[in-house]
This record gives sequence, structure tokens and C-alpha cells, in this order.
Amino acid sequence: MGEFLHYLNFRKGHLLDLTVAHAQIVLYAIAIATAISFVTAILVYRHERVAAIVLSIVATFLTIPSLALFTLLIPFVGLGAKPALIALVLYAMLPILRNTVVGLRSVDRAVIESAQGMGMNRLRRLAKIELPLAWPVILTGIRVATVLIVGIAALGAYVNGPGLGEDIFAGLSRIGTPTALHLTVSAILAAVLLALLLDSLYLVLGKLTTSRGIR
Amino acid sequence: MTEGATANGNRSQPLIRLENLTKRFPGQKRNAVDELTLEIFAGEIVILVGPSGSGKTTTLRMINRLIEPTSGRIFLEGEDVTAVNSDRLRRRMGYVIQQIGLFPHVTIANNIATVPKLLGWNKQRIRARVDELLELIGMDPAAYRDRYPKELSGGQSQRVGVARALAADPPVLLMDEPFSAIDPITRARLQNEFLQLQTQLRKTIVFVTHDIDEAIKMGDRIAILDDQSRVAQYDTPEQILAAPASAFVEDFIGAGASLKRLNLTRVADVGLVSWPTEHVTADRDEIRDAILGSDKGSVLLLDDERRPQRWLSMMDLEHTGTPLGEVGLPAQLMQQNATLYDALNEMLNSLQGATAVVDADGAYCGVIDIETVAAAIRAMRQDARRVLRGEEAVN
Repeated sequence: MGEFLHYLNFRKGHLLDLTVAHAQIVLYAIAIATAISFVTAILVYRHERVAAIVLSIVATFLTIPSLALFTLLIPFVGLGAKPALIALVLYAMLPILRNTVVGLRSVDRAVIESAQGMGMNRLRRLAKIELPLAWPVILTGIRVATVLIVGIAALGAYVNGPGLGEDIFAGLSRIGTPTALHLTVSAILAAVLLALLLDSLYLVLGKLTTSRGIR
Repeated sequence: MTEGATANGNRSQPLIRLENLTKRFPGQKRNAVDELTLEIFAGEIVILVGPSGSGKTTTLRMINRLIEPTSGRIFLEGEDVTAVNSDRLRRRMGYVIQQIGLFPHVTIANNIATVPKLLGWNKQRIRARVDELLELIGMDPAAYRDRYPKELSGGQSQRVGVARALAADPPVLLMDEPFSAIDPITRARLQNEFLQLQTQLRKTIVFVTHDIDEAIKMGDRIAILDDQSRVAQYDTPEQILAAPASAFVEDFIGAGASLKRLNLTRVADVGLVSWPTEHVTADRDEIRDAILGSDKGSVLLLDDERRPQRWLSMMDLEHTGTPLGEVGLPAQLMQQNATLYDALNEMLNSLQGATAVVDADGAYCGVIDIETVAAAIRAMRQDARRVLRGEEAVN
């Protein structure tokens, strides 16, 4: 244990760099996935059948084993951050898209009808009524997606992607040596802490951005 | 279609005119609304009433074009609005639905401010209007402005829904079963408040309900709709009750048409009984004298603002050990524009033979008692029998 703490102290700068890089790629992926999901959800949520089809297509991404997906992308975009980012976006899409569609669809019909009856056009209804009311559900989707891909992002190192995966794979390739365990465990620990940190940031963000009327 | 009596002022041009309005929904063989022509005059409450599936809600929703008509025209204030921008049209008509549909994520003030904001009013004007409307519906602006819909009772939400519809002072109000989801006692109160409001506002109101009793109570004119929104009769409630145009109408009004006129007569229209009253601070002797000085057997205690508080009878005075403020029965109150039906209902609920009637400020006007209601019922039944015998109804 003392040895491990000594190791952590020795490597803290390096671990912090990896963690920041890890957080960066996760948040980029979430931002891109959220943007794509929003546009897609807004296009499809009013058409039940289309929404169902789109959701099942996105769901199939999640069924592809992550290592396989990372590898599959190499022929198209090469090694490095790109395949990692693309794979993470694909994985993050399902929870975000599904929750956005579900959130938008679950807005009370009477509320929408009264908005329409008072002369709010479609765009204004979406911006002022439907999205704010769906927001807590959407944010939950984003939160789930974030925690999900913090774990998956570690596999990005397999295709030379940035992040804590670097140390995990380094450790795995040295199994048997004393530093192997240290490398792996410290990186996993950092990933778990990062996930917890982001998760609680979302809770705060949810508090700050959700109307008091629907809390 | 029966044309009504021309009792209401300027009948030259209707405020709303529906002309051969027809709706067929995609995939259906029959028209939901078929060639409906209806004229609605300024300042009137027109009730669309009919059995479910008669197309009354479809008709209402075609007036603000939430449902686009398949054919026919809609005129508002003489202008053909069948093809104008529907969002702009809707801002000229208040819209109240059964589920109210307040926006849960914004404050009461912002709910009410919806249409003024769409119309681009400035902040001060919106704020002043919101406060004015909250006052109008009897809710203290300082207390309610910044609350959220979830903090309101059903009755308060309904009032805010009406205030929101009135916000930009539209000439027209469309109401789809606005009181149906509310418990019967609150409903009667809200109906009376709304009628009171209407005497000040004189809006043109199109009101959908399935309840003939509500139609009789609320309507200046009732359109009884048969299948496909065919107008079975379009007339004043009095005329519809006295002379149903067809077997369908008679059937729809149902049994007890004469008793339904209890919904037509306002408490203020029958002679109120004057009752002995005393100030709440009166002592036992004063109250005893007041009771003995009349044949009513009890006294109504009023507070400083003449608001009725309690009924006291001789028997209550005998509980000498208890302060006067704790004996007797709390006074149930009726607005002047409540109907005899409301009054009878209140008496049956409170098991008291009399109810105090108050004005808009809550001050005592008189008492309506069970004898007055019974006399009114007798008169109505006699009228009805006279009609059955083919004589002219004495009204």
C-alpha cells in the first residue's frame, strides 16, 4: 500500500495529464453526440415509427463490442484520437438520443395545445416549452452517456487514442512486473474518480438549469 | 335552424361567422363537421352543446384553426380569416381548455404574459397587465406573481388559465369544457365568478360543453348540435327549454326541463328575504330581542364590513357557558349571480334552510331561503303545465 502511494506521488503529474486528456475526449464526444442527437430527435420525435427505427439503429452501435468498433474505424480514419472520438460519439448517442426523444414526447399534450392555441409557432413552442420541459430527462441521458463513455474511452488507447487507457494498456502488457499493477490500478482509480466528478457536476448543472416549477 | 329573439342590441353584423364549415379527417368516410353555418354576435356567450362525437370540439378548434377546415369560411369581425396566418389569428382569440395546460416551468406571471410577449409588449406594460389580471381573478399579485403552477389548487389554476387567455384583451374567448375537470362545488363558484367577470368584460365567448345544465346556466344563446355538428336548435336557453325545436332537442334536454330552469334564474332575480342581523359584538340580550322581533327564529351576525359570519338561534343562546362566537352555525355564502340551482344545492349540502347572499365585495344583501326556491319551482312547474296544455307561458 505504501509502495502504491509512493508510486502515485511519483506519477501524479503524468496521471493528471492523462486524466485531463481523458476528460477532454469524453466531453468532446458528449458535445458532438448531444448536438447530433438534438437535431435527430427534433426531426423524428413527432413521428412515432421513424423515431422507433432511428432509435433501434443507434441501439445497434451499443451492441458492437467496443474493441471491435475502435479497430473497425482504423481503415477509415487511421490511428489516434479520431477513431476513439468517433466510437465514443456513437456510444454516447443512444442514451442522449433516446432520452431526448422520450423527453420531448412526454411533454403534456394539453400544455402544447394551449401554447399552440395562443399563437406560438412550432419553433417557439420547441424552444420555450418543449425543450425546457424535456430538459431534466435529456440531461439524465447526457449524464448516463458521460459515465458510460468514461469507461469506454479507456479502450481508446488501443487505437492510440488519448487518455487513461495508455497506462491501463501499459500495465496489462507488463503483467508479472511490480509496476504493472500500479499502472493499471492508478489509471482505473483516476477513471472512476473522473466519472464520479463528472456525475456530480451534472447534478449541480441539473439543479442550476431546471426550472423550480418542474423540480 | 331557429333564429333567436332579437333581444341583443346590434344584430347587424356577427362578430364571428362560420359559413358552410366542413371538416373531414383523413381516412374517414363521413364529415366530422358538415356544412355548419353559425353566427355569433359580439358580447354574447354562445354555448356549443351536444352528445359526444357531435363535432362540437372540432367546430371550436376550427374557429382558431387548430384544426384546418376542409371547406367553408370563417369570418372574424367581418374579415375572412380562413387563410390568414393562423398563429397571428390565434393571438386575437383567447383559448381555454379543460386541462388548462398552464406551462409548469414558468411562473404564474410569465404564464399570463404569454400572448403579450408574443405581441412584443414592453416589460412595464406586461407587468402592469399581469397584476391587473391577477386582481381581476381575485388573486393577490404580490403573493402569486412569482409562484409556479404546481403550487396552485385546481380552481386557482383554472382562474389563471382564464387570465392568461384574457391577457392581450382579445375580443373573442374560445373555451373547451373549461370547468369540466373541477369538483362540483368549486365548479359552481368558478362559473359564477366567470359570469360576474363577463358582465364587466363583455367578451364574445364560444363555449363547448357536453352538460346541458351548464349550457343553460352559462349561455346567452345555446347551439344544440346533433351528429356532424348539425344545428338542432340555436336559441336562448329560455326558448330552448320552453319550445324545443325537435324530438332530438327534447331528448337532449332530458326529463325535468321545468326544473332545469333553476339554472336560469339568478338568486338576485328572486325576492331576497330580509333577515334580522346583528353585529358580531352584540350581546345576548340584543340578539334575543332581534330574534323575538321577527318570525325567522334566528339572527345573522355580520362583521365590520357587513360580511355574514354566523347564524344564531334561541337555542344557541341557551349555552350560556360558551362565548357567542363559538355557538351557532357558520354562514354559507352565495353570490348574487348564483343560480337557484346553486342555492338549492348549497342548502342541501349544508343542511340549512337558508343561505346568505352577498355582493361582489362579500357584504350582506339578503337571504334566500328554501321557501323562495320552492315557490320558484312551483311557478316553473305551473308554467310547464300551461305549455303542455298549449297556453302561452307566463314568464
